[in-house]
Amino acid sequence: MNANVEVYTMMYGKEKKKSRDWQTMLFKVIMLAPAVAFLAVFMYYPIEETFRLSMTRSTGLGPTVYIGFQNYIRLFQTEEFLIGLKNAILWAFWSVVIQIPIAFFIAFSLSVYKNKITKPLRVIYYLANVLPSAITAMLGRFVFAPRHGIISSLANKFNWEWLARIDFLGNPDLAFWSIFAVATWAYSGFYIVYLMANIEQIPKDVQEAAQLDGATPWQYARHIVIPMTSYALRIVSILCIVGSMKLFDLPWLMTTGGPGYATSTLGIVLYKYGFVNWQYGRAAAVGVVIFLLSLVFTILQFSLQRKDSDAL
Amino acid sequence: MMNNNTAKLPHLAKPFPVRSKLMEILTTTLLVLLALTVIVPLILPFMFVFKTRLEYNYHPWSFPTEIRWVNFAEAWKAIQIGKGLLNTLYVCLGAIVCTVPVAAMAGYIFARYRSKITEVFFYVILAGYFVPVQMVLIPLYQLCGAMNLTDTLPGLFLPMTAFGIPFWTIIYRSFFAGLPNELAEAARIDGAGNTGIFLRIMLPLAKPATVLATLLVFMGSWSDYLLSLIMLNSLEKFTMQLRIAQFMNNYGVDHMPRYAAAAIIAAAPTVILYLIGHRWIIQSTLAGALKG
Repeated sequence: MNANVEVYTMMYGKEKKKSRDWQTMLFKVIMLAPAVAFLAVFMYYPIEETFRLSMTRSTGLGPTVYIGFQNYIRLFQTEEFLIGLKNAILWAFWSVVIQIPIAFFIAFSLSVYKNKITKPLRVIYYLANVLPSAITAMLGRFVFAPRHGIISSLANKFNWEWLARIDFLGNPDLAFWSIFAVATWAYSGFYIVYLMANIEQIPKDVQEAAQLDGATPWQYARHIVIPMTSYALRIVSILCIVGSMKLFDLPWLMTTGGPGYATSTLGIVLYKYGFVNWQYGRAAAVGVVIFLLSLVFTILQFSLQRKDSDAL
Repeated sequence: MMNNNTAKLPHLAKPFPVRSKLMEILTTTLLVLLALTVIVPLILPFMFVFKTRLEYNYHPWSFPTEIRWVNFAEAWKAIQIGKGLLNTLYVCLGAIVCTVPVAAMAGYIFARYRSKITEVFFYVILAGYFVPVQMVLIPLYQLCGAMNLTDTLPGLFLPMTAFGIPFWTIIYRSFFAGLPNELAEAARIDGAGNTGIFLRIMLPLAKPATVLATLLVFMGSWSDYLLSLIMLNSLEKFTMQLRIAQFMNNYGVDHMPRYAAAAIIAAAPTVILYLIGHRWIIQSTLAGALKG
C-alpha cells in the first residue's frame, strides 16, 4: 500500500495527485449541492418551522407567542380534529379490509384466467388510477349527486322512490361511504397492477406442482399465492394506511368534509385551520400529528422489509 | 426434474383444475362487469351532453334527439381549460427540468463516489422520502410568500421538486450502481474527467431511469391538487385541476348536460394521454413501485 503511494508520487508528483483529489471533491460538492439545497430550503427548513409553529399561537399577522404543547392539548379536545382522526383510522381500516381483497381477487383472477377477454382488462382497471383526483371527484359527484346524479336519475326512471330519495353526499351516515366507494374505484387500479406483477413472479414450477396436485383456484390462492405474495400484500396495506392519514383531495372536493364534520379527514382539518381560519399554530400541530402517524406506519413497513430479507 | 416427471406421466397433464371452463366463464364475466364500472362513469356523460336542460329533466335516459354542441361551448368557457392546460404543462415542465437532473446528479455521486460523508447525505435525502407534504403546507406557504413566489407557477413546482427528489435519487442511485465500471475506467484512462464521464458515458446509459423519472414526474405534477390549491390564488394562474374543481363549486350538478360536458372536457386530456402511453405508464409505475 505504502509502496504503491510512493511509486504513484514518484511517477506523477505529489501535487498532481492532490489537485486530482481536490477536483473530485469539488465535483462531488457541485453534484450534490442542488439536491441538498432543494431539500434544505423546501423540506427541512419547513419541517423545523412546522415543529416551531406547532408550539406557538400564530395567525400569520400578529406576533407569535410560545405556548408549549397547548395546541396539541386543545386539538384532542376539539370535536373537528377528533372526528378527522377517527375518520382517518376508519378509512385506513376499511381500505385494508375492502379495497385490498377486491384488488387481490381481480389481480389473481386476471393472472389465472388469461384469455383474450381478460388480457386488455388490466389497462382498463388502471385507467381510473391515472385520473387526477379533481376529475375523479367530478365523476363521483356525477354519480352520487341528489336529484340529478346518475343513481337518482336511474331510480326515478324505474320509479324506485326509496333509492331516488337517498342523498348520498348530504347524509352524514352515507357521505363517508359514498366517498369511500369513489376512492375504491379510483385507487384499486394501482393495487391490482402491483399485486398482479407480484403474482406473475411466482415461478412456473410452483404453478405446475399445484396443477399436478389438482388444486382448485381457491386452494391455489389460499395456500400458494397469498403466502408467496404476502410481502406485496403487506406493502400495499401500508401504502393504504399511510395514504389514509394524508387523505385530502377526494373528501375535500366532493363534500368539503361535510355535512358537518362527517367526512372530515386530518388533511381537511389542517387545511381549514391553516388556510380558512388562519390558525397557523394549530394547523402545524395537525401537520405534526399526520407526520408522526405516517412515520409509525412507515417504520412498520421497513421492519417488515428487514424481516423479509432475513428470511431470504 | 419437474419436466421429466410430467413427461413420464402424461395422463396427469390434464387441464389445470384452476382453469375449469365454467369457473373461467363466470370469473371472466365478473371481471368484465367490474371493468365496466370503471368505464361507465366516463362514457355516461356522452348520453347527456347533447341535450338541453329541459330535455334532460324529462327524458334523461333516451337518446338525444339532436346533436347540440352548446353545452360543450358553455362548459369550455366556464372552465377555460385551454389556459389551465398551458399552466399545467408549464408546471409539469418546470418540475421535470428541476427534478430529473438534480436527482440524477445526486444519485450518481451516491452510487459511484461512495464515502462516509456521501452516505450521511444519502440518508439525509432518503429521509425526505417519508415526509408527507401535508405536514409542511403552512411553512411552505409562508416561505413562498417570503421569496415572492406566492401565486406564481415556480412557487408551485419548486416545492414539488423538493418532494420528488428523494425518490428519484434512490432510483438513480440503484440504477447507476448497477452499471458496469469498465466503460468509466476506459474513459478515465483516455483522459476524461469526472464531468465528462458523467455527462458523456453514464448519463446516456441511464436513459431508462431518465425516461421513467420524466414520465412519472409529469404525471405527478399533472394530477396535483393540494399544493396548487395552497400556492395559487389568481384565476389566471390556475392549473387545469384547480379550474375543474372551481367549475364544480361554482356551477354544481344542477345543469347536468353542462356538467357532463365539463366532465368530458376535464377527463379528455388525461384519458387521451393514457390511451397513447398506457404501456409505458403501467410499466414505469411498476418499475418505480418495485424498486422503491
